[in-house]
Amino acid sequence: MSKVPALELNDIHKTFGDVEVLKGISLKAYDGDVISILGSSGSGKSTFLRCINMLENPTKGEIIFNGEPLSLKPGETDLVAANMKQLTQMRQQIGFVFQSFNLWPHMTILENVMEGPANVLKRPKNEVKAYAEHLLNKVGIADKKDMYPSQLSGGQQQRVAIARTLAMDPQVILFDEPTSALDPELVGEVLGVMRNLADEGRTMLIVTHEMNFAREVSSEVVFLHQGLVEEKGTPTQVFENPQSERCKGFLSSTF
Amino acid sequence: MELSVVISYFPRLLDGAWVTLQLVILSIVLGAIFALPIALARISSSPFVRVFPFLYIFFFRGTPLLVQIFLVYYGASQFEVVKESVFWPILREPFWCAIIAFTLNTSAYTAEIFRGAIQAIPVGEVEACKVVGMTRFQMYRRVLLPRAFGIVLPAYGNEIILMLKGSALASTITLLDLTGMARTIIARTYTPIEIFMAAGVIYLVISMVVIAIFKQVEKRQNRYLGPIVIKVPEKG
Repeated sequence: MSKVPALELNDIHKTFGDVEVLKGISLKAYDGDVISILGSSGSGKSTFLRCINMLENPTKGEIIFNGEPLSLKPGETDLVAANMKQLTQMRQQIGFVFQSFNLWPHMTILENVMEGPANVLKRPKNEVKAYAEHLLNKVGIADKKDMYPSQLSGGQQQRVAIARTLAMDPQVILFDEPTSALDPELVGEVLGVMRNLADEGRTMLIVTHEMNFAREVSSEVVFLHQGLVEEKGTPTQVFENPQSERCKGFLSSTF
Repeated sequence: MELSVVISYFPRLLDGAWVTLQLVILSIVLGAIFALPIALARISSSPFVRVFPFLYIFFFRGTPLLVQIFLVYYGASQFEVVKESVFWPILREPFWCAIIAFTLNTSAYTAEIFRGAIQAIPVGEVEACKVVGMTRFQMYRRVLLPRAFGIVLPAYGNEIILMLKGSALASTITLLDLTGMARTIIARTYTPIEIFMAAGVIYLVISMVVIAIFKQVEKRQNRYLGPIVIKVPEKG
C-alpha cells in the first residue's frame, strides 16, 4: 500500500557560520504518527524542527508537505522560500508549539486563540469564537479566557498556546520542547493535554526531554546525535534495545 | 517685581501659547505620519532601502534645530524656482517654515523611537505570527504595530516635551509664539524677569498636561503588562 506522507524531510542540512548543526536528516511522518525526537542539547533537534516550517532556513535539503515540495531558492547563506504564498499556506496547516509559549501579550487568552482562524484564515467570527471557547475548555482554561497571558502560569500559558495551534486545524503539529520552560509541577498538565491529542490520532512531531512520555505516546522515536540520526525505531526498540552506544549512554544517563 | 505687568500682558502671553500649541501639535502629528514609513524603511532587509532613512535621520539628528529652521526660512527664498513655484505662498510664511523644519526634525527622532520599539518586540512573538501563516502586512497590523505602540509611549512622550521646548526657536524667525511674544512684551516693558517667569510657568503647565495625558494612555495601553493581582482566599 503506497501512501503519501503528511510530511517528508529529505537530507536537511543546516550550518551556522562554520558549525554544521544538521548533517543530513531525513524523516517521514504519516497521518496519525507521533514521532518523538530525542537527543542531548546541541544535537540539533530543535533546529531540525524549526527548519521544517522555515523558522530556520536549511542550507540544503527538501521539505515535502502532502506530496508537494516547498519551493526553495538559494539565499545569501542558506535556502529561502521561493514562493512566500506557498510557505504561508503550508505554515497555516502546520502547527508549532514553542518552548517559551510566545503568546501575544496584548491580546486576551480568547483573542490569542481566535487570531489565526479569524484574521489569517478569515473564518466567520462567531464560529471561530465558539470553536476557540470549545478548545479552551478542552485544555482546561475556559475560565481564564478574558485574562491576559501575563496573568497565567507557565503551564496555563502553554495550554493556551496549544489551543491557539489547534484553532488552525493543523494537519501536523510540531512541539519544540513544550515542557522545558515549566516548573516540574506544571509539566504534567501540559503532557496530559498532549497525550489526549495523540489519542485523537493527531500527527505530531515532538522534541522533548520527557522520556517516559515519549515512550508511552510515540509511534516512533528518533535519537539525534551531532546533527545525524543515530537511532530510530519504535519506542520499544529504542528504549529497550538500543543499538548505538551513544543512544545507550544517553538513555542510561536520563533514566 | 512688578506683577501688574504680568497680569496686564497675560492675555498676550496666552495668544503666544496658542501659537506654540499649534506649532507643536501640527508638527507632532505630521511628524508621526512621516515617521512610520521612515522607521519601516529603516528596518528593511534591503541595504538600498535602509540607506535613505539612515541619511535622513543622521542629518536631522546631527544638526541643530535652529540651523534647520534657518535653512528652510532663509534657504528656500534663495532659489528662483521656489519663488515661482506653487509652494511659495507657503514657504513665504514663517509659520509654515517652522512647521516644515519641526516636522522634518521630529519625524527623524520619532522614526528612531518607532524603530527601537519594533525591534524591542521579543522575537518569539514574531515567530508566533509566522507559524500561523500571517503575511508581513498582517503581522504588522495585528501584532508588531499594536505592541510597538505600547513600548513607544514613554520615549514618545519625551519627544513631545522636547518638541514643545524646541518650538521656542520659532521666535527667531519672527513668529510670535510664547517665547517670541514674551520677548516682544519685554522690549516694550523692560521687565524680563516677570515676563519670562510667566512664560516659563505656561510652558510648565503645558508639559504637565502632556505628561498627564501620556500617563493615562500608557496605563490603558499597557494594561496587559500590569502586575498580577493575586487573590488570597479568605480563611473561613
